[in-house]
Amino acid sequence: MTDLSENFVPEPEVGSLTLTNGAIALLNLQAQIDGLEGHDTFAEAATLIDLLILRGLILGRISDYERAAQLANRQVGEATTDAAAYMARARTRAVFHRFAEALDDVDIADRMSPHDTAAKRECAAILQAQGRYHEALAAYATTDDRVSQFERAAALAGLWAERGEADTAQRFYLDSLRSYRGISPFPLALLDFQLGVMWMRHQQLEEARTCFEAAIARVPAYAAAQGHLAEVEADLGNPESALTRLYPLAVSSDDPDYAAQLARILGEMGWNDESSIWRRWAADRYDELTATHREAFADHAAEFWLGAGNNPQKALRLATLNLEVRKTPRARELLAQALDANTAGAASARCSGAPLPN
Amino acid sequence: MSDHFSGPRALSEPAADITDVYAFPAPDSPDHLVLVLDVFGKAGPSAVFSDAVIYRFRIRPVEIAAMGPETAFAPSQTEFTFDCTFDVPNGTGNAVRRVQCGRCLTPDGRVISFRADDENGGVDDGVQVFAGQRSEPFFLDVRMIEKTAATGKLSFKPKGSDTLYGTNILAIVIKFDWRKMLEGGPLFAVVCETLAAGKRPVRIERVGRPEIKNVTLSWKQFDQINRDLEIRDLYNSEDAFDVKPDYFDVYRMRMNANLAFHDGLDGKIDWPFDQHGNHPLTKLLLADFLVVDASMPFAETSYFDIERSMLEGRLHTTPGGRWLNQDFMDFVYTLYVNSGNGPPVNDGVDAPIAWSSKAFPYLAPPNPPKGAAA
Repeated sequence: MTDLSENFVPEPEVGSLTLTNGAIALLNLQAQIDGLEGHDTFAEAATLIDLLILRGLILGRISDYERAAQLANRQVGEATTDAAAYMARARTRAVFHRFAEALDDVDIADRMSPHDTAAKRECAAILQAQGRYHEALAAYATTDDRVSQFERAAALAGLWAERGEADTAQRFYLDSLRSYRGISPFPLALLDFQLGVMWMRHQQLEEARTCFEAAIARVPAYAAAQGHLAEVEADLGNPESALTRLYPLAVSSDDPDYAAQLARILGEMGWNDESSIWRRWAADRYDELTATHREAFADHAAEFWLGAGNNPQKALRLATLNLEVRKTPRARELLAQALDANTAGAASARCSGAPLPN
Repeated sequence: MSDHFSGPRALSEPAADITDVYAFPAPDSPDHLVLVLDVFGKAGPSAVFSDAVIYRFRIRPVEIAAMGPETAFAPSQTEFTFDCTFDVPNGTGNAVRRVQCGRCLTPDGRVISFRADDENGGVDDGVQVFAGQRSEPFFLDVRMIEKTAATGKLSFKPKGSDTLYGTNILAIVIKFDWRKMLEGGPLFAVVCETLAAGKRPVRIERVGRPEIKNVTLSWKQFDQINRDLEIRDLYNSEDAFDVKPDYFDVYRMRMNANLAFHDGLDGKIDWPFDQHGNHPLTKLLLADFLVVDASMPFAETSYFDIERSMLEGRLHTTPGGRWLNQDFMDFVYTLYVNSGNGPPVNDGVDAPIAWSSKAFPYLAPPNPPKGAAA
C-alpha cells in the first residue's frame, strides 16, 4: 500500500522505468507521420490521424490538429461503413471541443461495432472533457475488463485530477506508473503534465513544477509542459527562466498561449514595449482561432482577455461559451472570474496591459 | 513487413515493432550465415533505433524430432544470442538523419561497434554487423488480403497494388562464420526479439516465421471460442522456445480456425484436421522459429522447404530459412489454400520496388521520401 499521507509528485529522474529517449521518440513520431503520408488503408489513415493529434499535443501545433480533422472528415466520406473512421473523427472533434458532434460519431461507431470497446472508451473520455464525471466514470467501468491496467489507471488519474481530487488522482497516477509496460515516453509525460496542471490549480506550485519537470525530462520538446513550467517559474519569482523557456515556443508555435504568457510576464517585469508586441500577436491569433474553432479556444482566449489582453467583456462572452460546452470546475471558475472582472472597479484589478485598439 | 502492426503494444513503439526476420546462408560466402531483423515499417527519413530496446537474435541448434504427420522440431537448450543496442543520435549528420552509433554483443562476449547507415558496418573476426535504414524488401497487397478475410473469397487481382511500394524499414544485418560462432548444427532455429532494456529486460515482441501473428492469428471472426480476444500481445510475451501451457490452447484454437478458413477459400479441403481436431500445420507453425540449415548452399526460394520435406517424410535439399526476395504472400496463400495441390495463388504483387542484392548488407538502399520522389 502506498503511503498517500504526503503529496506525491514524480521524481524528475524516471527511475526504474525504461523509456525511449524523448528526442528519439519525437524523431520517430515524425518518421511515423512521414511514412504514413499517402496511406494505403483506412487503418493507416486512422493511425496517421492519431499520430498527428499526438504531435499536435506534444509540440503545441494547432496545424496538426487541423490536418487531422481534415483527414478524418475525408475518411468518413470515403468509408461510411468503417467504425474506425468515425472514431478517428470523434477524436478530432473532441480535440476542438465539438463534444456533441464527437459523441454522435462515437455513437455511430458503437452501433457499427458493438463488441469493440474503443467507442465506449472514447465516449468516456468525451464525457469527462464535458465535465460529466459521473457518466464518464460509469462509462469507464463498462470497459474495465477490456483495457490494460495502465489505460484504466491513466484515464482515472486524469479524471480525478480534472475534478481536483488530488489524493485519488495521485493514487491512480501511481497505479498507472506501476502498470506501464510500454517504452514510449509520451503517455507518461502526458500524465505528468495532467498532474502538474492539477497542482497548479491547487496553487501548489512546487509540486506543479516537479510534475512539469518530470514531463520535460521524458520529452524535452513537450511544449505545453515547457509553457506551464514557465508560468510556474514566473509565479515562483524566476521570470528570467520563464522567459528563456517561452521565447522559442512563442516564435515556433502557432498556439498563442506562449505569446500570451510572454506578454503577461514581460508586462509584470515592466518591459511594456516588448510585452505589447507579444500581446498584439496573441490577440490577433486568438481572434483568428476563436473565429475558426470557437469552442476549442474559448477557455484559453478568455484567460488571455482576462489577463494581458485586458478585454473583460470579450472574456465574459468566451467564458460563457466555454461553460456551455464543458461544465468543468475550471470552466465555472473562469466564468466567475470573468463576471468578477466585469463588475465596476474589478476589471482594473485583474486585467493587465492597456486596452488593445480594435 | 509480414509482422508489422502485430499487436497494440508493439505499435506504440515503432522502433520495437518487428516487421520481418530472415535467415539464410550468405550468398557471397558459403561459410557464413546471415540473420536479418527489420523493424519500423513505413519508416520516414528521420527514423532511428530506440535507445531503450535490446534487439536480440536468438539461435538454438535444433534436431528433427519426428517426420510425417507428427512432424516436429526439438530445439536444444543451448542458446546463442547477438544483442544489438543503440545510443541517442548525436547532432551531426545531415538535416534529416542524425548519426546513431550502436554495438553488437556477440555470443562469445565480444562487442562490435558500428555506425548506423554505414554499409560496411562493424567488423570483427568473421562477424559483420550493419544497422540502418533500407528499402522494405517485403511486398503484398493488404487491401486484398483484408477483402479476402472479409468476404471469404480470394480477392487478389491479376495486377495488385503493393501496400509497401517505395517504403523503408530499419534493418539490422549480422553475417557470421557459423562454425566459429555457434556449436552444434547445422540445423538452427532462429527467433528475433525486441526487449525493453533494464535490469530485467522485458520482451516487447518476438518473431520467427513470417505472417504468423497477422495473416494466421489476427483474424478474430473465425475463432468460435475467443472471437473477442486480441491475442497478439499475449503471444508476443511468450518465449518462442518455451510456450507456456496456460494459453497454448488459445493460440491453437485461433490458428486452427484461421487455417481452416484459408483452406476453404478454394471450395475444397486440402488440409483435413487430424484425430485430435487440429489442422496439420498448427503444431508446426506454433513452433514459431525459422529453421535454417547452415551447411546447405544459398537458395532463392527455400522458406518452409525443411518443414515440407519433414511432412512428406524425406530429407530436405535446400537450406530452408528465409531469403529476402522470396514472394512470400504467394507462397503462404498457396500453402494454406491448396497445399500445392492446385494452381499457385498469386496476390498480384510480384516484386518490391528494389530487389535485395547478394552482397552485404543485402537489402537495397533506402527509397527517397515520397515528396522527394514526386
